[in-house]
Amino acid sequence: MKMTKIYEGAYQWIMYGRDPYKPDNIIDTNQYVVRTDKRCLLIDPGGIELFAPMLAAVLHHAPVDEITDLFASHQDPDIISSLGLWDQALPHAKLHAAALWEGFLRHFGCESIQYVPIADNGGVINLGSVELQIVPAHYLHSSANFNIYDPQAKIFFSGDIGAALEAPGKPVFVENFDAHVEKMRYFHQRWMPSNQAKRAWIDRVRGLDIDILAPQHGRMFKGDDVKRFLDWFEALQVGIAV
Amino acid sequence: MFRKSDTEPTMQVSPSKSQFVAVASIAAELSAVMEVAKEISLAAANAKAIAFRAGEKAKGFQPITDFINELAKETIALVNDINEHALKLYRLTVKEHRMAEACKRFEKVAASAESALHAASLRESLQQTRQRHADCHREFSRHVSELLSQLADVMHPARAARVIAANSRIEASQAGEYLQSLQAVAESVDHAAQIIHDKVHKCRGALSMIGTAA
Repeated sequence: MKMTKIYEGAYQWIMYGRDPYKPDNIIDTNQYVVRTDKRCLLIDPGGIELFAPMLAAVLHHAPVDEITDLFASHQDPDIISSLGLWDQALPHAKLHAAALWEGFLRHFGCESIQYVPIADNGGVINLGSVELQIVPAHYLHSSANFNIYDPQAKIFFSGDIGAALEAPGKPVFVENFDAHVEKMRYFHQRWMPSNQAKRAWIDRVRGLDIDILAPQHGRMFKGDDVKRFLDWFEALQVGIAV
Repeated sequence: MFRKSDTEPTMQVSPSKSQFVAVASIAAELSAVMEVAKEISLAAANAKAIAFRAGEKAKGFQPITDFINELAKETIALVNDINEHALKLYRLTVKEHRMAEACKRFEKVAASAESALHAASLRESLQQTRQRHADCHREFSRHVSELLSQLADVMHPARAARVIAANSRIEASQAGEYLQSLQAVAESVDHAAQIIHDKVHKCRGALSMIGTAA
């Protein structure tokens, strides 16, 4: 699995993705890790098929007992169907996920890991040396959906927002925004149900200082491409299937 | 006495058939046993009414109806207990499957992360999961044995019901114009007892195979 360090300071952000051994018929996903001196947060750790390559990759950066926190942006299988396996590997860890999805996510197996429910208005994940903000992104696309903002690293994990469907092995950053648009259009129009939710999210996110916008599928946006994405998304009509 | 007892084919649990399906099939068979036991209870109520109408002609039949009812109640109570046990077994199957899956994946991680800086940290998790898996496996085997023993208990009322059905036929033959009605009751009890016996026998066969494979 490809590992890309996207922030290096008092702690690190690492992006994991482009797993060459991933079965062809499952969607490619990006996983993110925030590594502090003693703790490690896995953001959208992925589906069952990804558990082994993901844990093997994380072991390059953290020992098992320092993987203390998991975050699930929403309830989809590509986000967190590996939960039952993490539950065996990390019995003392915490899972930060929507309160609304607790009864659903527990179907994946969550007997040992502590479920930390996130209220609709978001919250924080305190990793000691860094405090991350949990930003509501409801209905984009899931009905209880959250993003993560790190004001120090200026990284915004946007979940499915900003996602693109493209061939495997592509670069991790957008290089030509205009060429990238068509890889995102259908995904956003079809998976995102609400223009109202989209406008509320854009208003909220425009107020944040972001260097990197990091989605769960496709490529990350950096620098001016972050604003380009927000402008493009604002103008896009979503919820096209009705 | 039992027409098909030992030659009855057992519920097939091939090695490829998952333990989940086998345990779920046992639960389904038990649910059918419960329905049949309720039918016996209903037959007992009918028999009681007929015997009451027949008066002196069915005097010998009256105490038999109480026996039939008691046997039905006993079977229902036993099956209720067994169902709880079967549910526990199903939960253990899920738990064991998850642990086996976790062990398999951890071993995969250990193999592919040999060069990782923190690869050694996985060792303890792997050992703990293997230990939990072994504990769960033992618990599963214990529950299979207990369930087998409970299923053997259900066979007793089913056998007794068939003896009572035979006696019922004799008593019915002396009930004059009520002969046909009472014979029908005896047939119904006999048939239900046979079904219970066959289904429980199948469950035991399937459980034995799981127990052997476990």
